[in-house]
Amino acid sequence: MVVGLREFTLRTGDGSGKPILDEPNGEELMHVQSSVAVALGNRPLESPGTLYITSRKLIWLSDVDMAKGYAVDFLSISLHAVSRDPEAYSSPCIYTQIDVEEDEDEDESDTESTGVLDLPKIREMRLVPSDSSQLDTLFDIFCECAELNPEPIEEEEEGGHNWVFSADQMDVRGGGEEDAEWQISQSPTSVIGHSNGEEGLAQPMLELQISDQRFEDAEEMVHDQK
Amino acid sequence: MLFFSYFKDLVGQEVTVELKNDLAIRGTLHSVDQYLNIKLENTRVVDQDKYPHMLSVRNCFIRGSVVRYVQLPPDGVDVDLLHDAARREARGG
Repeated sequence: MVVGLREFTLRTGDGSGKPILDEPNGEELMHVQSSVAVALGNRPLESPGTLYITSRKLIWLSDVDMAKGYAVDFLSISLHAVSRDPEAYSSPCIYTQIDVEEDEDEDESDTESTGVLDLPKIREMRLVPSDSSQLDTLFDIFCECAELNPEPIEEEEEGGHNWVFSADQMDVRGGGEEDAEWQISQSPTSVIGHSNGEEGLAQPMLELQISDQRFEDAEEMVHDQK
Repeated sequence: MLFFSYFKDLVGQEVTVELKNDLAIRGTLHSVDQYLNIKLENTRVVDQDKYPHMLSVRNCFIRGSVVRYVQLPPDGVDVDLLHDAARREARGG
């Protein structure tokens, strides 16, 4: 996945200048807002263009320069807000923060000193519609589209899976649900005895039970069973 | 789903959302969805000196995946209820 802001120049060839969407993969156009200016980072506003909001991303296309356009996936938009305070920004706008790849070696000042526009490093974008009464509508559409784009499932999930797996195992050994407390107290012997990678994860939690007053009883029961 | 239910109970309360980029925004929790996307109202940036350019906006939408911490009001936590719910979640029920 491309992180952050990028150039976008894919326009239909029919003269309408509309963006080409990834329709085969389900990308849909949700909203079109004409007469929108854009400001990237601290840079000045760029001449009015048209904002296309799709189910995947924001696309801003210049109305004058057909070769000019930007796009950013909703996955990369960390935050969006309506800004109306003239002290914060001269024109009422939709303010967005964009998630960028962390790059420790370079800070933002480098980009500015060289004057080169490095799109993937842009952290803020302001969208200024000429009709500011549309801001709340745009805000709501942004919210809706953000919710259409949850994080892709990552491996992180697996860590959690192992943990739940151990808990399930304990339940299976014990049987009766009412006696869940008992199962936890009893199982240290079996878990420690057959320790493998996965079951080991359950140990820290089980050790917490050792000072429990029920521990003594559990110990006796285990002896009895042997 | 535990935290989704939990945050839903906090709607209307004042919270501070700390983002992974260190920005902290305080505001009234307006809504939360299943991805823990958070909408705040009456927001203000906690460290205004550090983020002078940052919004004096009224409301904002924060993507769940960029949230590092949510600071809760001290009386907004029913410890017993949370404890119980966490235990039930851990048992897979």
